[in-house]
Amino acid sequence: MKAVPIARATLVLGGAAVTGYGGWLLWPQLPAAWTWLVAGPILHDAVVAPAVGVAGLTLGRLIPDPARRAWVAAGLTISAVLVLVALPLLWRPQPAPINPGLHDRDYVQGLIVALFAIWAGVAVAAASRPRHRRGDRDPG
Amino acid sequence: MRLRPPRPEDFRSPAHTPAVAARIGLWLGVAFTVCFLTGLLSHAAQHPPGWFTWPTRPVSLYRITQGAHVISGVAAIPLLLAKLWSVYPRLFIRPPSRPPGRAVAHGAERLSILVLLCAAFFELASGLFNAVQSYPWRFFFVETHYAAGWIAAGALAVHIGVKLPRIGGGLGERPDPRRRAFLRIAWLSTGAAVLATAGGTVPWLSRVSVLAWRSPGGPQGLPVNRTAAAAGIQVPANWRLAITWPGGTAELTLDELATLRQRTATLPIACVEGWSATATWTGVPVPDLLAAVGAPTRRAIRVSSLEQSGLYATSLLPPAHTADPLTLLALRVNGEVLSADHGFPCRIIAPSRPGVLQTKWVTRLEVLA
Repeated sequence: MKAVPIARATLVLGGAAVTGYGGWLLWPQLPAAWTWLVAGPILHDAVVAPAVGVAGLTLGRLIPDPARRAWVAAGLTISAVLVLVALPLLWRPQPAPINPGLHDRDYVQGLIVALFAIWAGVAVAAASRPRHRRGDRDPG
Repeated sequence: MRLRPPRPEDFRSPAHTPAVAARIGLWLGVAFTVCFLTGLLSHAAQHPPGWFTWPTRPVSLYRITQGAHVISGVAAIPLLLAKLWSVYPRLFIRPPSRPPGRAVAHGAERLSILVLLCAAFFELASGLFNAVQSYPWRFFFVETHYAAGWIAAGALAVHIGVKLPRIGGGLGERPDPRRRAFLRIAWLSTGAAVLATAGGTVPWLSRVSVLAWRSPGGPQGLPVNRTAAAAGIQVPANWRLAITWPGGTAELTLDELATLRQRTATLPIACVEGWSATATWTGVPVPDLLAAVGAPTRRAIRVSSLEQSGLYATSLLPPAHTADPLTLLALRVNGEVLSADHGFPCRIIAPSRPGVLQTKWVTRLEVLA
Protein backbone atom coordinates (compact mmCIF):
# COMPACT_ATOMS: atom_id res chain seq x y z
CA MET A 1 0.00 0.00 0.00
CA LYS A 2 1.14 3.53 -0.69
CA ALA A 3 1.11 6.46 1.73
CA VAL A 4 -1.97 8.20 0.34
CA PRO A 5 -4.35 5.23 0.59
CA ILE A 6 -3.09 4.56 4.12
CA ALA A 7 -3.69 8.20 5.07
CA ARG A 8 -7.18 8.08 3.56
CA ALA A 9 -8.11 4.86 5.31
CA THR A 10 -6.78 6.23 8.63
CA LEU A 11 -8.78 9.45 8.25
CA VAL A 12 -11.99 7.63 7.33
CA LEU A 13 -11.78 4.87 9.95
CA GLY A 14 -10.38 7.10 12.70
CA GLY A 15 -12.91 9.79 11.87
CA ALA A 16 -15.76 7.30 11.99
CA ALA A 17 -14.60 6.12 15.43
CA VAL A 18 -14.35 9.71 16.72
CA THR A 19 -17.80 10.49 15.30
CA GLY A 20 -19.13 7.42 17.10
CA TYR A 21 -17.59 8.60 20.37
CA GLY A 22 -19.25 12.00 19.91
CA GLY A 23 -22.57 10.32 19.15
CA TRP A 24 -22.27 8.27 22.33
CA LEU A 25 -21.62 11.47 24.32
CA LEU A 26 -24.50 13.23 22.57
CA TRP A 27 -27.06 10.45 23.02
CA PRO A 28 -28.55 11.63 26.39
CA GLN A 29 -29.04 15.17 25.01
CA LEU A 30 -30.55 14.06 21.69
CA PRO A 31 -34.25 14.31 22.67
CA ALA A 32 -33.78 17.98 23.62
CA ALA A 33 -31.19 18.89 20.97
CA TRP A 34 -32.30 17.17 17.75
CA THR A 35 -34.22 20.17 16.39
CA TRP A 36 -31.14 22.37 16.80
CA LEU A 37 -29.01 19.67 15.16
CA VAL A 38 -31.09 19.24 12.00
CA ALA A 39 -32.10 22.91 11.66
CA GLY A 40 -28.77 24.08 10.19
CA PRO A 41 -28.60 21.92 7.04
CA ILE A 42 -32.34 22.32 6.37
CA LEU A 43 -32.28 26.11 6.73
CA HIS A 44 -29.14 26.32 4.63
CA ASP A 45 -30.17 24.04 1.78
CA ALA A 46 -33.78 25.22 1.56
CA VAL A 47 -33.50 28.92 2.40
CA VAL A 48 -29.97 30.38 2.52
CA ALA A 49 -28.43 28.79 -0.58
CA PRO A 50 -31.48 29.42 -2.85
CA ALA A 51 -31.54 33.03 -1.63
CA VAL A 52 -27.84 33.38 -2.52
CA GLY A 53 -28.56 31.92 -5.96
CA VAL A 54 -31.46 34.31 -6.61
CA ALA A 55 -29.35 37.25 -5.38
CA GLY A 56 -26.52 36.22 -7.73
CA LEU A 57 -28.84 35.94 -10.73
CA THR A 58 -30.46 39.30 -9.93
CA LEU A 59 -27.05 40.98 -9.57
CA GLY A 60 -26.02 39.51 -12.93
CA ARG A 61 -29.05 41.14 -14.58
CA LEU A 62 -28.75 44.50 -12.76
CA ILE A 63 -24.99 45.05 -12.97
CA PRO A 64 -23.47 43.79 -16.21
CA ASP A 65 -19.95 45.03 -15.41
CA PRO A 66 -18.15 42.15 -13.63
CA ALA A 67 -15.78 44.33 -11.61
CA ARG A 68 -18.58 46.49 -10.23
CA ARG A 69 -20.72 43.45 -9.67
CA ALA A 70 -17.93 41.86 -7.61
CA TRP A 71 -17.77 44.94 -5.37
CA VAL A 72 -21.52 44.99 -4.83
CA ALA A 73 -21.49 41.23 -4.19
CA ALA A 74 -18.72 41.79 -1.62
CA GLY A 75 -20.80 44.51 0.08
CA LEU A 76 -23.87 42.29 0.19
CA THR A 77 -21.95 39.28 1.49
CA ILE A 78 -20.13 41.20 4.24
CA SER A 79 -23.37 42.92 5.26
CA ALA A 80 -25.22 39.60 5.46
CA VAL A 81 -22.44 38.01 7.52
CA LEU A 82 -22.39 40.92 9.98
CA VAL A 83 -26.18 40.84 10.33
CA LEU A 84 -25.99 37.08 10.93
CA VAL A 85 -23.33 37.47 13.64
CA ALA A 86 -25.29 40.37 15.19
CA LEU A 87 -28.58 38.47 15.22
CA PRO A 88 -28.09 36.63 18.56
CA LEU A 89 -26.88 39.91 20.16
CA LEU A 90 -29.88 41.90 18.96
CA TRP A 91 -32.41 39.17 19.64
CA ARG A 92 -31.06 37.43 22.81
CA PRO A 93 -33.95 35.05 23.51
CA GLN A 94 -33.97 33.61 27.04
CA PRO A 95 -30.95 35.60 28.17
CA ALA A 96 -28.98 35.47 31.41
CA PRO A 97 -29.85 38.29 33.86
CA ILE A 98 -28.36 41.69 32.89
CA ASN A 99 -24.64 41.77 33.58
CA PRO A 100 -22.97 45.19 33.69
CA GLY A 101 -20.19 45.53 31.11
CA LEU A 102 -21.43 42.59 29.01
CA HIS A 103 -23.65 42.77 25.93
CA ASP A 104 -24.41 46.39 26.73
CA ARG A 105 -23.01 48.18 23.69
CA ASP A 106 -25.42 49.92 21.36
CA TYR A 107 -25.34 47.10 18.81
CA VAL A 108 -27.97 48.62 16.50
CA GLN A 109 -25.91 51.77 16.20
CA GLY A 110 -22.68 49.77 15.80
CA LEU A 111 -24.19 47.64 13.05
CA ILE A 112 -25.52 50.71 11.22
CA VAL A 113 -22.10 52.38 11.38
CA ALA A 114 -20.38 49.23 10.12
CA LEU A 115 -22.85 48.81 7.24
CA PHE A 116 -22.47 52.47 6.34
CA ALA A 117 -18.68 52.11 6.25
CA ILE A 118 -18.91 48.98 4.10
CA TRP A 119 -21.25 50.54 1.55
CA ALA A 120 -19.26 53.77 1.43
CA GLY A 121 -16.23 51.61 0.58
CA VAL A 122 -18.19 49.70 -2.05
CA ALA A 123 -19.44 52.94 -3.62
CA VAL A 124 -15.94 54.40 -3.85
CA ALA A 125 -14.43 51.17 -5.20
CA ALA A 126 -17.20 50.57 -7.74
CA ALA A 127 -17.07 54.18 -8.98
CA SER A 128 -13.29 54.22 -9.37
CA ARG A 129 -13.14 50.96 -11.36
CA PRO A 130 -12.88 51.48 -15.11
CA ARG A 131 -15.77 49.90 -17.01
CA HIS A 132 -14.96 46.61 -18.62
CA ARG A 133 -14.93 46.24 -22.39
CA ARG A 134 -18.13 45.27 -24.13
CA GLY A 135 -18.59 41.57 -24.60
CA ASP A 136 -17.01 40.83 -21.24
CA ARG A 137 -20.37 39.99 -19.70
CA ASP A 138 -20.83 36.70 -18.05
CA PRO A 139 -23.62 34.95 -16.23
CA GLY A 140 -23.89 35.21 -12.44
CA MET B 1 -41.32 26.92 -18.80
CA ARG B 2 -41.79 23.85 -16.62
CA LEU B 3 -40.34 23.85 -13.13
CA ARG B 4 -37.98 20.95 -12.38
CA PRO B 5 -35.41 20.28 -9.69
CA PRO B 6 -32.08 21.95 -10.51
CA ARG B 7 -29.19 19.92 -11.91
CA PRO B 8 -25.54 20.52 -11.05
CA GLU B 9 -24.87 21.98 -14.52
CA ASP B 10 -27.54 24.66 -13.97
CA PHE B 11 -25.18 26.45 -11.58
CA ARG B 12 -22.81 28.66 -13.54
CA SER B 13 -21.29 30.86 -10.83
CA PRO B 14 -17.47 30.80 -10.81
CA ALA B 15 -17.66 29.65 -7.19
CA HIS B 16 -18.64 26.12 -8.10
CA THR B 17 -15.25 24.57 -8.84
CA PRO B 18 -12.86 22.30 -6.95
CA ALA B 19 -10.22 25.07 -7.04
CA VAL B 20 -12.51 27.32 -4.97
CA ALA B 21 -13.97 24.59 -2.74
CA ALA B 22 -10.52 23.24 -1.85
CA ARG B 23 -9.11 26.68 -0.97
CA ILE B 24 -12.02 27.69 1.25
CA GLY B 25 -12.17 24.17 2.66
CA LEU B 26 -8.52 24.38 3.64
CA TRP B 27 -9.08 27.53 5.72
CA LEU B 28 -12.36 26.21 7.11
CA GLY B 29 -10.44 23.10 8.16
CA VAL B 30 -7.83 25.27 9.89
CA ALA B 31 -10.57 27.24 11.72
CA PHE B 32 -12.36 24.05 12.79
CA THR B 33 -9.13 22.45 13.98
CA VAL B 34 -8.18 25.48 16.09
CA CYS B 35 -11.73 25.65 17.43
CA PHE B 36 -11.82 21.93 18.29
CA LEU B 37 -8.42 21.81 19.99
CA THR B 38 -8.95 24.99 22.02
CA GLY B 39 -12.41 23.68 22.93
CA LEU B 40 -10.87 20.47 24.27
CA LEU B 41 -8.36 22.54 26.26
CA SER B 42 -11.11 24.68 27.74
CA HIS B 43 -13.13 21.61 28.66
CA ALA B 44 -10.07 20.07 30.31
CA ALA B 45 -9.36 23.32 32.20
CA GLN B 46 -12.90 23.41 33.59
CA HIS B 47 -13.46 19.69 34.12
CA PRO B 48 -9.90 18.43 34.54
CA PRO B 49 -9.40 14.68 34.26
CA GLY B 50 -7.03 13.22 36.86
CA TRP B 51 -4.02 13.13 34.56
CA PHE B 52 -4.39 16.72 33.40
CA THR B 53 -2.74 19.79 34.93
CA TRP B 54 -3.53 23.19 33.48
CA PRO B 55 -0.37 25.33 33.71
CA THR B 56 -0.32 28.64 35.59
CA ARG B 57 1.99 30.31 33.07
CA PRO B 58 1.73 32.29 30.92
CA VAL B 59 -0.89 34.11 32.99
CA SER B 60 -2.82 34.83 29.77
CA LEU B 61 -2.85 31.21 28.60
CA TYR B 62 -6.58 30.61 29.04
CA ARG B 63 -7.34 34.06 27.70
CA ILE B 64 -5.43 33.21 24.52
CA THR B 65 -6.80 29.68 24.02
CA GLN B 66 -10.40 30.66 24.69
CA GLY B 67 -10.09 33.85 22.64
CA ALA B 68 -8.79 31.68 19.78
CA HIS B 69 -11.71 29.28 20.31
CA VAL B 70 -14.37 31.96 19.92
CA ILE B 71 -12.57 33.91 17.17
CA SER B 72 -11.97 30.78 15.07
CA GLY B 73 -15.64 29.86 15.55
CA VAL B 74 -16.75 33.29 14.33
CA ALA B 75 -14.35 33.02 11.36
CA ALA B 76 -15.82 29.63 10.50
CA ILE B 77 -19.32 31.10 9.99
CA PRO B 78 -18.61 32.92 6.68
CA LEU B 79 -16.11 30.24 5.65
CA LEU B 80 -18.69 27.47 6.11
CA LEU B 81 -21.30 29.41 4.14
CA ALA B 82 -18.82 30.13 1.32
CA LYS B 83 -17.70 26.50 1.25
CA LEU B 84 -21.28 25.26 1.06
CA TRP B 85 -22.16 27.70 -1.69
CA SER B 86 -19.16 26.44 -3.62
CA VAL B 87 -20.32 22.82 -3.46
CA TYR B 88 -24.10 23.45 -3.39
CA PRO B 89 -24.67 22.12 -6.96
CA ARG B 90 -23.43 18.72 -5.82
CA LEU B 91 -26.51 18.46 -3.61
CA PHE B 92 -28.47 17.88 -6.83
CA ILE B 93 -26.34 15.05 -8.26
CA ARG B 94 -28.54 12.06 -9.09
CA PRO B 95 -27.52 9.14 -6.88
CA PRO B 96 -26.08 6.27 -8.97
CA SER B 97 -28.45 3.29 -9.04
CA ARG B 98 -25.80 0.74 -10.05
CA PRO B 99 -23.57 -0.97 -9.38
CA PRO B 100 -24.95 -1.46 -5.86
CA GLY B 101 -21.52 -0.88 -4.33
CA ARG B 102 -21.30 2.62 -5.80
CA ALA B 103 -24.85 3.44 -4.73
CA VAL B 104 -24.08 2.40 -1.16
CA ALA B 105 -20.80 4.37 -1.14
CA HIS B 106 -22.60 7.43 -2.49
CA GLY B 107 -25.28 7.13 0.20
CA ALA B 108 -22.70 6.65 2.95
CA GLU B 109 -20.74 9.71 1.82
CA ARG B 110 -23.91 11.84 1.76
CA LEU B 111 -24.80 10.61 5.24
CA SER B 112 -21.31 11.49 6.54
CA ILE B 113 -21.65 15.00 5.07
CA LEU B 114 -25.11 15.41 6.63
CA VAL B 115 -23.69 14.41 10.02
CA LEU B 116 -20.79 16.83 9.52
CA LEU B 117 -23.12 19.70 8.62
CA CYS B 118 -25.58 19.02 11.46
CA ALA B 119 -22.69 19.09 13.94
CA ALA B 120 -20.90 22.06 12.31
CA PHE B 121 -23.96 24.31 12.14
CA PHE B 122 -24.94 23.25 15.66
CA GLU B 123 -21.51 24.14 17.06
CA LEU B 124 -21.40 27.56 15.40
CA ALA B 125 -25.00 28.48 16.27
CA SER B 126 -25.00 27.19 19.85
CA GLY B 127 -21.56 28.71 20.47
CA LEU B 128 -22.68 32.10 19.18
CA PHE B 129 -25.82 32.12 21.33
CA ASN B 130 -23.81 30.99 24.35
CA ALA B 131 -21.30 33.80 23.77
CA VAL B 132 -24.12 36.34 24.06
CA GLN B 133 -25.46 34.48 27.13
CA SER B 134 -28.73 33.59 25.45
CA TYR B 135 -30.02 30.04 25.90
CA PRO B 136 -33.11 29.39 23.75
CA TRP B 137 -32.94 25.60 24.21
CA ARG B 138 -33.57 22.83 26.74
CA PHE B 139 -30.43 20.72 26.31
CA PHE B 140 -27.35 21.14 28.54
CA PHE B 141 -25.04 23.43 26.62
CA VAL B 142 -21.67 22.22 27.93
CA GLU B 143 -22.37 18.50 27.36
CA THR B 144 -24.03 18.99 23.97
CA HIS B 145 -21.51 21.50 22.59
CA TYR B 146 -18.69 19.19 23.72
CA ALA B 147 -20.26 16.06 22.19
CA ALA B 148 -21.10 17.75 18.88
CA GLY B 149 -17.50 19.00 18.74
CA TRP B 150 -16.27 15.40 18.67
CA ILE B 151 -18.87 14.56 16.01
CA ALA B 152 -17.81 17.52 13.85
CA ALA B 153 -14.12 16.63 14.23
CA GLY B 154 -14.68 12.96 13.37
CA ALA B 155 -16.99 13.65 10.43
CA LEU B 156 -14.53 16.25 9.13
CA ALA B 157 -11.73 13.67 9.21
CA VAL B 158 -13.95 11.24 7.26
CA HIS B 159 -14.78 13.98 4.74
CA ILE B 160 -11.10 14.88 4.24
CA GLY B 161 -10.23 11.20 3.85
CA VAL B 162 -12.91 10.70 1.20
CA LYS B 163 -12.04 13.88 -0.69
CA LEU B 164 -8.24 13.80 -0.39
CA PRO B 165 -7.49 13.31 -4.13
CA ARG B 166 -10.08 15.96 -5.05
CA ILE B 167 -8.59 18.41 -2.51
CA GLY B 168 -5.13 17.84 -4.02
CA GLY B 169 -6.50 18.41 -7.51
CA GLY B 170 -8.41 21.54 -6.45
CA LEU B 171 -5.41 23.09 -4.72
CA GLY B 172 -3.20 22.32 -7.73
CA GLU B 173 -5.55 24.15 -10.06
CA ARG B 174 -4.99 27.91 -10.42
CA PRO B 175 -8.26 29.86 -10.01
CA ASP B 176 -9.05 32.30 -12.83
CA PRO B 177 -9.82 36.00 -12.04
CA ARG B 178 -13.56 35.46 -11.51
CA ARG B 179 -12.89 32.63 -9.08
CA ARG B 180 -10.30 34.74 -7.32
CA ALA B 181 -12.96 37.46 -6.93
CA PHE B 182 -15.23 34.96 -5.14
CA LEU B 183 -12.37 33.85 -2.89
CA ARG B 184 -11.55 37.47 -2.09
CA ILE B 185 -15.15 38.07 -0.99
CA ALA B 186 -14.95 35.01 1.28
CA TRP B 187 -11.71 36.26 2.90
CA LEU B 188 -13.10 39.80 3.24
CA SER B 189 -16.30 38.68 4.96
CA THR B 190 -14.31 36.38 7.26
CA GLY B 191 -12.06 39.29 8.19
CA ALA B 192 -15.09 41.53 8.76
CA ALA B 193 -16.76 39.00 11.08
CA VAL B 194 -13.53 38.63 13.09
CA LEU B 195 -12.90 42.39 13.28
CA ALA B 196 -16.49 43.00 14.36
CA THR B 197 -16.24 40.65 17.36
CA ALA B 198 -12.60 40.06 18.39
CA GLY B 199 -12.42 43.31 20.41
CA GLY B 200 -14.13 41.47 23.26
CA THR B 201 -10.76 39.93 24.03
CA VAL B 202 -8.19 41.81 21.87
CA PRO B 203 -7.82 45.20 23.62
CA TRP B 204 -6.69 47.30 20.63
CA LEU B 205 -9.75 46.16 18.66
CA SER B 206 -12.31 47.05 21.32
CA ARG B 207 -13.30 50.31 19.57
CA VAL B 208 -13.48 48.68 16.13
CA SER B 209 -15.46 45.62 17.21
CA VAL B 210 -18.97 47.01 17.14
CA LEU B 211 -20.40 43.54 17.82
CA ALA B 212 -18.04 42.55 20.69
CA TRP B 213 -19.79 40.82 23.59
CA ARG B 214 -18.26 43.10 26.20
CA SER B 215 -18.06 46.85 26.33
CA PRO B 216 -14.74 48.52 27.14
CA GLY B 217 -15.84 49.60 30.63
CA GLY B 218 -17.90 47.96 33.32
CA PRO B 219 -18.05 48.70 37.05
CA GLN B 220 -14.53 49.24 38.48
CA GLY B 221 -13.25 48.89 34.91
CA LEU B 222 -14.26 45.25 34.59
CA PRO B 223 -17.35 43.44 33.27
CA VAL B 224 -19.46 41.45 35.73
CA ASN B 225 -20.54 37.96 34.67
CA ARG B 226 -22.86 37.31 37.61
CA THR B 227 -24.15 40.03 39.90
CA ALA B 228 -24.43 39.68 43.67
CA ALA B 229 -28.20 40.07 43.28
CA ALA B 230 -28.41 37.26 40.69
CA ALA B 231 -26.34 35.01 42.98
CA GLY B 232 -28.49 35.95 46.02
CA ILE B 233 -25.50 37.16 48.03
CA GLN B 234 -26.01 38.62 51.52
CA VAL B 235 -22.69 39.14 53.29
CA PRO B 236 -23.36 38.50 57.01
CA ALA B 237 -22.20 41.17 59.49
CA ASN B 238 -20.04 38.59 61.29
CA TRP B 239 -18.42 37.34 58.04
CA ARG B 240 -15.23 35.35 58.61
CA LEU B 241 -13.02 33.49 56.17
CA ALA B 242 -12.83 29.87 57.32
CA ILE B 243 -9.72 27.90 56.39
CA THR B 244 -9.77 24.19 57.15
CA TRP B 245 -7.19 21.47 56.61
CA PRO B 246 -6.83 17.91 57.82
CA GLY B 247 -6.16 18.44 61.52
CA GLY B 248 -6.85 22.16 61.87
CA THR B 249 -9.05 25.18 61.23
CA ALA B 250 -8.62 28.93 61.33
CA GLU B 251 -10.92 31.93 60.99
CA LEU B 252 -9.95 35.40 59.82
CA THR B 253 -11.92 38.62 59.76
CA LEU B 254 -11.67 41.00 56.84
CA ASP B 255 -9.50 43.33 58.97
CA GLU B 256 -7.15 40.47 59.78
CA LEU B 257 -6.89 39.61 56.09
CA ALA B 258 -6.12 43.24 55.31
CA THR B 259 -3.25 43.33 57.82
CA LEU B 260 -1.49 40.40 56.13
CA ARG B 261 1.17 41.31 53.55
CA GLN B 262 -0.66 42.29 50.36
CA ARG B 263 0.50 41.74 46.83
CA THR B 264 -0.67 43.62 43.73
CA ALA B 265 -0.74 41.77 40.42
CA THR B 266 -2.04 42.52 36.96
CA LEU B 267 -3.99 39.50 35.85
CA PRO B 268 -6.57 38.89 33.15
CA ILE B 269 -9.97 37.47 33.85
CA ALA B 270 -10.93 35.38 30.84
CA CYS B 271 -14.38 33.96 30.36
CA VAL B 272 -15.39 30.80 28.53
CA GLU B 273 -17.64 33.04 26.43
CA GLY B 274 -14.56 34.49 24.77
CA TRP B 275 -14.27 37.91 26.40
CA SER B 276 -11.41 38.87 28.65
CA ALA B 277 -10.35 41.91 30.66
CA THR B 278 -7.14 42.76 32.49
CA ALA B 279 -7.27 44.31 35.95
CA THR B 280 -4.90 45.16 38.78
CA TRP B 281 -5.77 43.04 41.78
CA THR B 282 -4.57 43.46 45.37
CA GLY B 283 -4.87 40.78 48.01
CA VAL B 284 -3.14 38.07 50.00
CA PRO B 285 -1.19 35.48 47.98
CA VAL B 286 -2.83 32.13 48.71
CA PRO B 287 0.45 30.33 49.61
CA ASP B 288 1.26 33.14 52.12
CA LEU B 289 -2.25 32.94 53.58
CA LEU B 290 -1.98 29.18 54.10
CA ALA B 291 1.46 29.53 55.66
CA ALA B 292 0.24 32.34 57.96
CA VAL B 293 -2.43 30.14 59.54
CA GLY B 294 -0.19 27.05 59.57
CA ALA B 295 -2.09 25.13 56.91
CA PRO B 296 -0.23 22.83 54.50
CA THR B 297 0.64 24.42 51.16
CA ARG B 298 0.96 22.94 47.67
CA ARG B 299 -2.26 20.96 47.96
CA ALA B 300 -5.57 21.29 46.17
CA ILE B 301 -8.09 23.66 47.79
CA ARG B 302 -11.85 23.63 47.56
CA VAL B 303 -13.04 27.25 47.45
CA SER B 304 -16.62 27.89 48.61
CA SER B 305 -18.65 30.96 47.89
CA LEU B 306 -21.44 32.59 49.88
CA GLU B 307 -23.54 31.59 46.88
CA GLN B 308 -25.79 28.77 48.05
CA SER B 309 -26.42 26.93 44.80
CA GLY B 310 -25.34 27.06 41.19
CA LEU B 311 -22.71 25.24 39.20
CA TYR B 312 -19.92 27.55 40.25
CA ALA B 313 -20.68 28.06 43.96
CA THR B 314 -17.48 26.11 44.63
CA SER B 315 -14.30 25.61 42.65
CA LEU B 316 -11.29 23.38 42.99
CA LEU B 317 -7.93 25.16 42.96
CA PRO B 318 -5.31 22.61 41.87
CA PRO B 319 -1.90 22.34 43.61
CA ALA B 320 -0.10 24.19 40.78
CA HIS B 321 -2.32 27.21 41.44
CA THR B 322 -2.34 27.10 45.27
CA ALA B 323 1.49 27.08 45.20
CA ASP B 324 1.64 30.07 42.85
CA PRO B 325 2.34 33.42 44.56
CA LEU B 326 0.28 35.14 41.87
CA THR B 327 -2.86 33.31 43.04
CA LEU B 328 -4.50 35.93 45.21
CA LEU B 329 -7.35 36.07 47.62
CA ALA B 330 -8.13 39.54 46.29
CA LEU B 331 -9.66 42.29 48.44
CA ARG B 332 -9.26 45.13 45.92
CA VAL B 333 -9.47 45.65 42.17
CA ASN B 334 -8.07 48.59 40.20
CA GLY B 335 -7.31 50.46 43.43
CA GLU B 336 -10.78 50.13 44.99
CA VAL B 337 -12.32 47.75 47.49
CA LEU B 338 -14.10 44.98 45.56
CA SER B 339 -17.68 45.96 44.84
CA ALA B 340 -20.47 43.53 45.72
CA ASP B 341 -20.70 42.44 42.05
CA HIS B 342 -16.97 41.76 41.85
CA GLY B 343 -17.03 39.50 44.92
CA PHE B 344 -16.84 41.56 48.17
CA PRO B 345 -15.49 40.72 50.73
CA CYS B 346 -12.91 38.66 48.83
CA ARG B 347 -12.48 36.58 45.71
CA ILE B 348 -10.01 34.21 44.14
CA ILE B 349 -8.02 35.52 41.18
CA ALA B 350 -5.49 33.05 39.84
CA PRO B 351 -3.27 33.20 36.75
CA SER B 352 -4.52 31.40 33.63
CA ARG B 353 -7.88 30.11 34.84
CA PRO B 354 -11.35 30.07 33.25
CA GLY B 355 -13.33 33.00 34.65
CA VAL B 356 -16.10 30.85 36.14
CA LEU B 357 -13.52 29.23 38.43
CA GLN B 358 -12.35 32.61 39.81
CA THR B 359 -14.78 32.18 42.69
CA LYS B 360 -16.33 35.34 44.16
CA TRP B 361 -17.77 36.04 47.66
CA VAL B 362 -15.35 33.51 49.17
CA THR B 363 -16.30 32.23 52.63
CA ARG B 364 -14.30 29.05 53.01
CA LEU B 365 -11.02 27.51 51.83
CA GLU B 366 -10.74 23.79 52.41
CA VAL B 367 -7.26 22.31 52.00
CA LEU B 368 -7.75 18.79 50.73
CA ALA B 369 -5.74 15.81 51.95
